[in-house]
Amino acid sequence: MKKLKLLTIILGIILITMVAFFGVYVQVQNRMEDKVKDYSYAMDLKGARNIRLSVDDTTDTVIKDAEGKEVSDAENLTDEELTEKGYTKEEVKKNSDEVLNEENYKKSKAIIEKRLQELGVDNYIVSLDEVSGDILIEIPENNNTDSVVSNMGTTGKFEIIDSETKEVLMDNNDIKRVRVMYGSNNTGTSTGTAVYMDIEFNKEGTEKLKNISNTYVQTNTTNNTNTTNETSTEETAENTEEETETKEITMQIDGEEIMTTSFDETIETGRLQLSVGSATTDQDTLNGYINQASSMAIILDNGNMPVAYTVASNEYILSDVTESELNIILYVMLAIVAIFLIILIVRYKSQGLISAFSYIGLASIFVLLLRYTNVVISIESIFGIAVILILNYIFVNKLLSKLKKEETVNKGIITNVFKETYKEFFIKIIPVCIAVITFCFIKWEPISSFGMVMFWGILLISLYNISITNLLVRINASKGGKK
Amino acid sequence: MKENKTKKEKNKLSKKTKIIITIIAIIILIGIAITCTIGLNFDLRYRDSKRMELYLEQDFNISDIKQMTDEVMPGKKVIIQKVEVYEDTVSITAENITDEEKQSLIDKVNEKYGTTLVAESTEIETIPNTRGRDIVKPYVVPFGIATLIILVYMAIRYRKLGVVKTLLKTIVIAIVAEMVLLSIMAITRIPIGIITIPLVITVYLLTLIGLTTYFEKELANKISKETSK
Repeated sequence: MKKLKLLTIILGIILITMVAFFGVYVQVQNRMEDKVKDYSYAMDLKGARNIRLSVDDTTDTVIKDAEGKEVSDAENLTDEELTEKGYTKEEVKKNSDEVLNEENYKKSKAIIEKRLQELGVDNYIVSLDEVSGDILIEIPENNNTDSVVSNMGTTGKFEIIDSETKEVLMDNNDIKRVRVMYGSNNTGTSTGTAVYMDIEFNKEGTEKLKNISNTYVQTNTTNNTNTTNETSTEETAENTEEETETKEITMQIDGEEIMTTSFDETIETGRLQLSVGSATTDQDTLNGYINQASSMAIILDNGNMPVAYTVASNEYILSDVTESELNIILYVMLAIVAIFLIILIVRYKSQGLISAFSYIGLASIFVLLLRYTNVVISIESIFGIAVILILNYIFVNKLLSKLKKEETVNKGIITNVFKETYKEFFIKIIPVCIAVITFCFIKWEPISSFGMVMFWGILLISLYNISITNLLVRINASKGGKK
Repeated sequence: MKENKTKKEKNKLSKKTKIIITIIAIIILIGIAITCTIGLNFDLRYRDSKRMELYLEQDFNISDIKQMTDEVMPGKKVIIQKVEVYEDTVSITAENITDEEKQSLIDKVNEKYGTTLVAESTEIETIPNTRGRDIVKPYVVPFGIATLIILVYMAIRYRKLGVVKTLLKTIVIAIVAEMVLLSIMAITRIPIGIITIPLVITVYLLTLIGLTTYFEKELANKISKETSK
């Protein structure tokens, strides 16, 4: 009966090992498909989106009047019309020669890194060519990648200007922080949830906004005019004309007009709320607005890049660590494990053999667990797997050496030995557990993947050995295979 | 007689310890000297390099391209990667790619894959280096937080061994272990690459296990001494 139990467990372990390392293939149409879930790989093993930001060397055509002021509505005029009006055309570089220096390139790189962090990109490499100013970014490929890329080339230059004179009234330096807010809106034509971008200004900005909101208002002026009736010179009529004069501001981001408006009342709070899209009840549309507002908020929150960049290239490049190289790592690990298991068998005979089977079972369940718990496999987590295999070996070796020291082995002694080994082992790895739990919460994929692999590994060591290894050792001991 | 024996054993142990400490110190000193003079040997992926991309219009084997680069750029470390979802473009990265090397590679590719690539329209991009501090930066906070919590745990768990002594030993041994690893990498010129950080993490965790094993032993000795008194 016990032999049968032992055989069943061993066959179970062999089955799990086959599934874990070779898969379960089922015919789908005319091809064989592995039904075992595939691993999720990190950027270093899968590949990355490579984005090259190049310093923008293009020019803008600016039309100025005789006084040197920029004219905004003269793009459609011909050269003759421009000359007639006394306007002149100038080619202005997007990046003036003064801004093109190493310090500004480094500042731009730092802003890009901050943006990536706030956009929730959990693994990236940013490198800077200090001579040309080109910035190379590597980010993981997923559903958000395109949205992240669209935020990389944006300069993030925020300006509130006088609509008429184009005088810059406020800029990025006045912003304290930008947040995204949303709430229900049941007024006006659209109902549902509306998304707002809440711009909070610093002390200086608050004061500026107060003055602007006092100045840029709609004013009504009354003009009294006397008109004379032509037919009757004696009769004089007095007409009253009301003129509405509006001073407006224009809000621009990266030179693109966001809105032109005036103020109804003085803003003393130092906060400006801009609605993004219209109120909606559609969840997808709402998410789109939230993402749009969040991206813009992140860009504004981190200041504008001193240098304007363009996305020169944007392509997905696969990892240089190929599948065959990964297989080599796997085979090397398996070979090392095999050598150590042979040592275990030589040292502890039948108990060693049983424990070796148990060890293989743990390794198989572990790799299946990593597939189904969606743990991302990175180079770091491969080392994590190796550490778990080492830790389990230490545990099993300790357990068997303690059992070997016992003169007689029965149920009670095995229980005590297990208890003792567990206590000793887990006390020793408490600092490792602390580090592992900390790593799990870190928003940096390589380290969190290492943490997750270790977490599941340690959990498996604790549960698997108390159940399967314990059972196997007991059955083996009771059938006379103590040492 | 017994006392003499234990004294001799102690002397032997301290001699052994001294030798180990001396070896470690020498390794670290040589490592520091090499790092300060020659610098660490960064892997190609973190160094200034040149990259060219060739559109092959078909699926290809990396080993075939590797063979070509070995012939054209013998002895040079080269990174070969597939580009985009269709995997029909190859990216070749090397520390330097000369015009002659570019031409020879294109000729070989045209011959093998029947493409009509022209050297003049194939650009060689400059890939800037990734600074060591940028590689390390994301790991500083996680390690800092974990170490801080571990130190608090160590101080509480091994308070009987002396809080300051325990903390100092933990910090010094953890730092020394990492320094030995990096010094060995500097001396042997093992490139600082994708396996360096995982190695550092692994050494960190194994050092922690070693430290707790040592402290547990010390604690058990102290407790047994106290009870025997």
